[in-house]
Amino acid sequence: MFFRMIDKDRLPDLVRGLAAEFEVVGPVAKGDSFVYAELEGPGDLRLDFDSTLLPPKEWFMPPRERIMRFATADNEVVDCEVDAPPRVLFGVHPCDVNGLQLMDNVFLGDRPDPYYKARRENTLIVGVNCQPSDTCFCNAWGTDETHWGFDIFLSDLGPDYFVSVRSVKGAELIDRHVESREITHQDTRRFQEVTARFKASFPEPLDTSQLPLLLDAKFDSPVWDELGERCLSCGACSMVCPTCYCFDVKDVLDPDHAGGERVRVWDSCMFRDFAAVAHGANFRESRSSRVKYRYYHKQWGYLSKFERVLCVGCGRCTRACLAGINPPEVIAALQGAMSREEVAAE
Amino acid sequence: MIGIDGHVHPEVETVNPYRPHRARITSIVDLTDNEKLFELRLIDEESRAEFSHSAGQFVEVSIFGVGEAPISISSAPSKQGFIELCVRRAGDVTGALHDMRCGDIIGIRGPFGRGFPFEQMKGSDVLLVAGGLGIAPLKSLINHIHDERHAFGNVTILYGSRTPSEILFRRQFEMWQHRDDFDMVLTVDQADETWTGEVGLVTKLFDRIDVDPSNTYGAICGPPVMYKYVIAEMRKKSIDADRIYVSFERRMKCGVGKCGHCGVGHQYACVDGPVFNYWEAMNLQEAI
Repeated sequence: MFFRMIDKDRLPDLVRGLAAEFEVVGPVAKGDSFVYAELEGPGDLRLDFDSTLLPPKEWFMPPRERIMRFATADNEVVDCEVDAPPRVLFGVHPCDVNGLQLMDNVFLGDRPDPYYKARRENTLIVGVNCQPSDTCFCNAWGTDETHWGFDIFLSDLGPDYFVSVRSVKGAELIDRHVESREITHQDTRRFQEVTARFKASFPEPLDTSQLPLLLDAKFDSPVWDELGERCLSCGACSMVCPTCYCFDVKDVLDPDHAGGERVRVWDSCMFRDFAAVAHGANFRESRSSRVKYRYYHKQWGYLSKFERVLCVGCGRCTRACLAGINPPEVIAALQGAMSREEVAAE
Repeated sequence: MIGIDGHVHPEVETVNPYRPHRARITSIVDLTDNEKLFELRLIDEESRAEFSHSAGQFVEVSIFGVGEAPISISSAPSKQGFIELCVRRAGDVTGALHDMRCGDIIGIRGPFGRGFPFEQMKGSDVLLVAGGLGIAPLKSLINHIHDERHAFGNVTILYGSRTPSEILFRRQFEMWQHRDDFDMVLTVDQADETWTGEVGLVTKLFDRIDVDPSNTYGAICGPPVMYKYVIAEMRKKSIDADRIYVSFERRMKCGVGKCGHCGVGHQYACVDGPVFNYWEAMNLQEAI
């Protein structure tokens, strides 16, 4: 990896330059919150954002997308076109860059998903560093930093940005659109100081020791019953999660029934019928079994395949949950939880 | 399509795991009031030539305007060019399929998943236990064993049905019952006046079979409630946990390990299963 320095007041040049070639999407203010939206100009960009309501995944797998058009007569596919305009996602925090890499394992690995893949390949990622908010726990997973999965990454050193350049395209964009200079030893020192202050600003990391093992050993723990009682099965945690990738597929007929479209929509394992099969059996009928499954899959199921947990500690689910269920508390409860046998023995 | 880094995109039109291939219904046999056997032939020659499966794998049946449903393949891999599906009328897609006629066209994706370890089973005795519609994937295995019968030891098939009228593949069963190289026993939960065979749950049949525990593979498929009891009988016969194979029904939607619906324990039934050995299944929370 190599590095450049960009003065802060030159950043609008980069945004304007990119806008000539790409659809530029970045964090913009919406009420008291932030969302990713197409920028109308550099002035919209709010790199001081804490988090966005929805994670960047919506730009790679939209909440609802057509995956094919069909004709019902003779069950024919009309087309499988994917809408993947050249796009830059400008301003992605390390947690979310990591989140996209976790999505990549699923959608770009074995039997790649052509829709996700086309958008991923047509989208540049400009990362930006951040400050922890009171719901962040990325330091538990090491997702408070990222070394892959972006084209360039901007670290705010006050008057200027320390820019990590990961891809050829990223290097070209900087060359073409913005005045930059080489880094000095002094810049690297300043970068290290900013990093040290960032790391020190987190509270103690969560105790995640032996989590996959504990999920099995305490699978029957009453902790899950209590969480099941509280959970509203609304699925908000999955919708705002940068790593929840589950989807459902539905057919929508045209009014004349001669054709229609097959659409994919975001789904959630919190929904009651998520694991139900046709003749009525439902493998996760109870709310507690569904809450448990979400944690089980994130901290163990995904890990068993890809050697990483399926959580980046962004804190969105903590903010979204109306029942106040959040990963740090669930994990802490599990660490301290008694098994069903222990409860019975008391 | 050319990506922004200059490299060429995967052809969304051709390499797309979600795109069904068209197949024509070439035969429909009424098995019971609720189950039919469909024979399908892929229309595109190339897809037909490429299609090869192992016993225990499944396909997604795709009917545009209705949706998709996972159905296990009943025919043996050796029956090339045709795919047989035994389908119960249970939901929207299977209902629509039941209303179709010979010559109609549906969509097929697959085959998907991990089937029975056919090659590994060679040289051993095989004990197959099916309940109800669970015979569908096992029929593929039995037919495949039949094709290479010399490669296997004793083959025993135990089949349980609720009533005599719900017995699937009756003619095929009669054929297996009359052969010397298959031991096939049927039982029904509730007999009627026509029934002269065994009455009771399929587990009852274990009293009358001899098993060589050092050289037997078990294969089980049936309604969810059945597994625990049949596995217990096989364990009583001292068959090793990793030689007992079970096939699970789950909500396989995409078939390629992405949509998340078929999660079982830490695995996905559509790519890691639907066939697991019992040791694996014991390690899958809530599987049995």
